[in-house]
Amino acid sequence: MKVLIGFIKDAVISVTSGSLKYHIWMAFLTFLMLCGAYAYSIQIKNGLIVTGMSDGVSWGLYISNFTFLVGVAAAAVMLVLPTYILKDIDFSRAVLIGEGMAVAALVMCLAFVTVDLGGPARIWHLIPGIGLFNFPNSMLSWDVIVLNGYLFINLTIPLYILLWHYQGKEPKKAVYLPGVFISVFWAVAIHMVTAFLYAGLVSRPFWNSSLLGPRFLASAFAAGPALMILVLGVIRRNTDYWVEDITLNKIALVTTVAAQINMVMLISELFKEFYFPTHHSLSAIYLYFGLDGYDGLTRWIWPAVIMNLIATIMLTLHPLRKNPFFLKLACLILFVAIWIEKGMGLIIPGFIPGPWGKIIEYTPTWIEIVVTAGVWALGLFVFTLLVKIAIPIELGQLRFHQTATNQP
Amino acid sequence: MARLAMVIDTKKCVGCMDCVVACKTENNVPEHLDRDWLVYETRGKFPTLHMEIRSERCNHCDNPPCVYCCPTGASHVHDFGGVVLVDYDKCIGCKACLASCPYDARFINPNGYAEKCTFCIHRTEKGDDPACVAVCPTHCMYFGDIDDPNSEVSRLLASRNHHALLPAAGTKPQIYYLT
Repeated sequence: MKVLIGFIKDAVISVTSGSLKYHIWMAFLTFLMLCGAYAYSIQIKNGLIVTGMSDGVSWGLYISNFTFLVGVAAAAVMLVLPTYILKDIDFSRAVLIGEGMAVAALVMCLAFVTVDLGGPARIWHLIPGIGLFNFPNSMLSWDVIVLNGYLFINLTIPLYILLWHYQGKEPKKAVYLPGVFISVFWAVAIHMVTAFLYAGLVSRPFWNSSLLGPRFLASAFAAGPALMILVLGVIRRNTDYWVEDITLNKIALVTTVAAQINMVMLISELFKEFYFPTHHSLSAIYLYFGLDGYDGLTRWIWPAVIMNLIATIMLTLHPLRKNPFFLKLACLILFVAIWIEKGMGLIIPGFIPGPWGKIIEYTPTWIEIVVTAGVWALGLFVFTLLVKIAIPIELGQLRFHQTATNQP
Repeated sequence: MARLAMVIDTKKCVGCMDCVVACKTENNVPEHLDRDWLVYETRGKFPTLHMEIRSERCNHCDNPPCVYCCPTGASHVHDFGGVVLVDYDKCIGCKACLASCPYDARFINPNGYAEKCTFCIHRTEKGDDPACVAVCPTHCMYFGDIDDPNSEVSRLLASRNHHALLPAAGTKPQIYYLT
């Protein structure tokens, strides 16, 4: 208990002290969150009518971001698996950062689902046991369980490891390893369940595909580690926490293979939709070429596909991947490409055209955009806090009974 | 057990929209939103054209995807005649049912919950017809129990050609159109 109180005290000291750069960064995120909260207050007051969503397109920017971020959260498994189970020591320095990223992504996921609800006051119905929970029929109820379960796993394992390191002890494998095993399967589950949520809707042929689940995994294991490489780059530059090049190279390899598989699946999807288009291909036609003069998404999806292709080629070529500058550039391009493709490019066309052929286009309103920015700021804020606590402990600068040292 | 269904004679429908107006008034449906609507479908080539006018609404499916996907069980099949209903107090407004419905039958009420046709359960439980059926000036709509072979709806389905909407979706819709 004493240790826990000391840990919390030191953690608070650690996150409230830092360089000017750190304070500006956190102030900027707080400002964005406040803007988001203001926009959300307008949405609460007036209802979903202030968003661009309609009965035709009933999921928009929020659920697009949610879907993408579930993938980012699931990608932590690509670091967890080699570190804890395959005992690849090269990954061990990155794994806590990966788990922190998963926690931040999950916080964002839950926030995006909450802001999307028409009746957020009744959200307590989603708590198993207390509320009315339509389990196991509804894939959404599965999603609630797997997302919160994954959040719990990804909070407890790093917390246990950090607490033991904080006391200068080595964490016991028998305690955390079972959790790690569960988390590996759980990570796959969160993304498959989210894919099944869409694939199970019979009236939306664009999603009703058996490739959706595997494609979700492939794109997640490309975008997640790509973000990881960028984040580790920032951490290496701004702190003493040095992640070896060999770790980055290994993560880059994971990203590359996932991006290649993702590309194969994209081609397979495009072939199925366009070799002999049926009326089930109308959503894909809308997405890529526009339908009946409506082409709101074509200007997004083509850059996304081209960026995806460029990034995959850059990662595939060894000299480019081994060059830190090109690696980071490729990761950035890949991340943005998958964000477009698996966000707006996946969710919106599912609704267009509607089951009766009616075309209602969707454009997010400023309220949705500001709320979205606020939720992303919340995620980055949570991630920065977690890293700010974890790094001094891992570096041995923050220990029980010692006062916290100032970390830049 | 009773299985309530609606049979609509497209040969007698004149497309007057009285059913739409009756529903809005009876159920206090918010402005710009409708629980039922008309579809005018034209087939064939001039001069042998054929038009079918259909009064459409929730199909109260026997295999309702909206009930399966609902995370809180707000969408449910009512004991009375297998009617598909939404419990507004349980609905969190996640909109999964809107995405799952192949008939576009649902919308979000300005108060944040999903809404749709209830087969006017407040009337039908007392033995009355739904409002749309009651007001139809050409008597083209019939409402009753299709599990009872002697009911008017059963006899009509046995004697006339009919179709339901999107049978391939596997939802087993319970609104039948006589042709």
